[in-house]
Amino acid sequence: MEEKRNLASDGSDAPRVGIYICHCGGNISDHVDVEVLCEKAEKIPGVAVARRNMFMCSDPGQELIMEDIRSGKVNRIVVASCSPSLHEMTFRSALERAGANPYVYEHANIREQVSWVHHGEPATEKAFQLISAAAAKARLLEPLEPLRVEARRHATVIGAGIAGLRAAVDLADRGFQVALLEKTPFAGGRVARLDRLAPTGEAASEAILSLARRVMEHPAITFYPCAQVVGFDGYVGNFSLELQVEPPAAEDAVPPSNLPPAGDGEPVFVPSRGVLLGPLPTEKGRIQVETGVVVLATGFKPYTPRKGEYGYGELPEVMTLPQFIEALRDAQADGSVLMLSGRPIRSIAMIHCVGSRQIPGIHEEDASGYLNEYCSRTCCSATLFAANQVRTRYPETRVFEFYRDIRAYGRGQEELYQEAARNKVLFLRFEPEDPPRVERSDGSSGTPLVVRVKDALTFGEEVQVPADLVVLAVGMEPTGIQDLVDLMKLPVGADRFLLEVHPKLRPVELATTGLLLAGTCQAPMDVSEACNAASAAASKAASLLAKGYVQLDPFVAEVDMEKCQGTGSCVEACLADGAIELVDVVVNGETVRRARVVQALCLGCGACVAACPSGAIQVKGSTLAQFEAMVDAIASHEAA
Amino acid sequence: MGAPAGEGKILILATESCAYPGADAVGQAHITYPANTYILKVKAPVLFPEEFYLRCFDKGISGIIVMSCGVECPYEGAYEALAKRIDRVYQLMKQRGLDIRRLRLTSICTVCTRAFVNEVKQMQEVIRELGPPGSETKTSEEAAAAAESA
Repeated sequence: MEEKRNLASDGSDAPRVGIYICHCGGNISDHVDVEVLCEKAEKIPGVAVARRNMFMCSDPGQELIMEDIRSGKVNRIVVASCSPSLHEMTFRSALERAGANPYVYEHANIREQVSWVHHGEPATEKAFQLISAAAAKARLLEPLEPLRVEARRHATVIGAGIAGLRAAVDLADRGFQVALLEKTPFAGGRVARLDRLAPTGEAASEAILSLARRVMEHPAITFYPCAQVVGFDGYVGNFSLELQVEPPAAEDAVPPSNLPPAGDGEPVFVPSRGVLLGPLPTEKGRIQVETGVVVLATGFKPYTPRKGEYGYGELPEVMTLPQFIEALRDAQADGSVLMLSGRPIRSIAMIHCVGSRQIPGIHEEDASGYLNEYCSRTCCSATLFAANQVRTRYPETRVFEFYRDIRAYGRGQEELYQEAARNKVLFLRFEPEDPPRVERSDGSSGTPLVVRVKDALTFGEEVQVPADLVVLAVGMEPTGIQDLVDLMKLPVGADRFLLEVHPKLRPVELATTGLLLAGTCQAPMDVSEACNAASAAASKAASLLAKGYVQLDPFVAEVDMEKCQGTGSCVEACLADGAIELVDVVVNGETVRRARVVQALCLGCGACVAACPSGAIQVKGSTLAQFEAMVDAIASHEAA
Repeated sequence: MGAPAGEGKILILATESCAYPGADAVGQAHITYPANTYILKVKAPVLFPEEFYLRCFDKGISGIIVMSCGVECPYEGAYEALAKRIDRVYQLMKQRGLDIRRLRLTSICTVCTRAFVNEVKQMQEVIRELGPPGSETKTSEEAAAAAESA
């Protein structure tokens, strides 16, 4: 009887559940019979309509839901798709855009917890029962008002490399106070070790300085050099960080001879180190930073080849590309032959994909058992760029590139490849299982080293290249930030880089609202991409804080005053100090004690719920009655 | 595998910050496990009173695995309160003649895929051995009667 009333589509408030089933392009529909599911779902009590779509998260998919809400067909929504961690927010916001309350929504996880782990009939069966359970809960959902908490108009950026500088400047320009934290004395990060930036050739120092000047001038930015985050707490709008600052370690100290005389507030660039933006701490101390959002710009480190990998660490003539770039920067600007440490370099062998695109079974794992299976993306162009610099500056120095594939993917990068060919850089291609061998020369080559390779471009011909220098194009690895990962509970991907919520739809956000990603802490990127990500993170941060308050899910405890008997058992069970208090209220002319929840302090854990003898206290959005209804649906023998 | 008609059902109460993402990680790794498992996402299982568990068995759920965060619990004190509650549920289960192996408290982290699958397998064995909830009552009543007459 109740079901019939609920099905009424007369615009009343009776629950009318809409079920929306996602195929996930086959991820779900290849294992779950979504057509059967849809037919059956429509017959679930209280369900007004069941629909399906190839991708519910797509615009047309969301539009299906929004149209049904606008027309009044449904007033409770269930989407059955991937894990709620991916798209629950997407769909809640679709509800909001269609004019519905975002909390009359329940999610059924039929991908991670069904189609990816079960197959055939049992998969469809389970999906149906999860949808029934979600529908049962949805019928009992009530509109909720999000909690409003004042947000600090303050952002913290961790890491003052090019991405951190970019993000700090953007945020300050939008009117936010910014704390820019850096663990070394210098701003500029890895870019400070570069000379000219591929593909356009502008000076790396200028790129850093132009941002550093603005950081220095901006009254809204406070720069904390030699600072480490040691404490982290709070939520979006109200994070607090504890910093440990220490005077720079001896090896980080700046030899005064390295420092040009400091001008009036003009930042000082020290090659390979970065920019000094002000005085360094002279004694140890702790600083508390109260902030609204945190942008992570912790950067990367270049892969360090294993001892003996292509002769690295054993043959002094073998160096990494970052080392070579610094050597080239410090070499005499031109001449017929490149001279390094007084030694003429007539022939350079450059080997690509060192520490990138590693293959299990072929490449050796590092000490902690990891392989870098990803492409580091930037090394092809950086190698080609360096080769072109050598060929144009020192016409008598020959360059040989040993590569697996050339991936010059960005604007202006393919041109570098063509330019290298015009510059008579010689390319030799190798297969991963048959990499080049770097060997000490027997003297006949006239060079200290020879590089032998089975060249795939000449159909496997064994080629021997004389080399005065071997340059290893090493890939990128994330900076070791395990302390931050543990402290801030940051999600890390299989590649050990920080992991965004969604690679396409939410590329600079972490699962914890208010934590954002900028640059190479997330994946290998070049300078433009890192700045791009940093500006995106800054915009996202600004839009989170712009209103001056943040909305939090209202999943906190609530007392039903009709049922409350004032026993105080909830106060006793409560795990957050002061979140529930007993207050005097007047009921029918009598003063009685009743429980009251202090929303700002409530954690929403529900410890009080189990303790209440009269069922008077519930956590909004997940009441006991809702859980019971879900268990009823799961226990039911209704088959799909 | 799967949940053919008549096979028992396993209810999993999975915490939103640890075990639920852990179950998602099992999915991301495409590791199969029996389909008679139904996961409910909860902030903290400390929310459920003793009767909730008993009612689940009354409704025909054969086994319940509480997958908590353990020491990683974001709500200080919640895990300890939960452990105490589960002990009380065990007492009540014994009184009703329910085998206490039907309820298991464990902790599963966000990447504990193997532990997740193991827990499911173990519970699967338990409910296969015991059959539907309540079917063991008779035997324990008989046992009690036998003990009394002795």
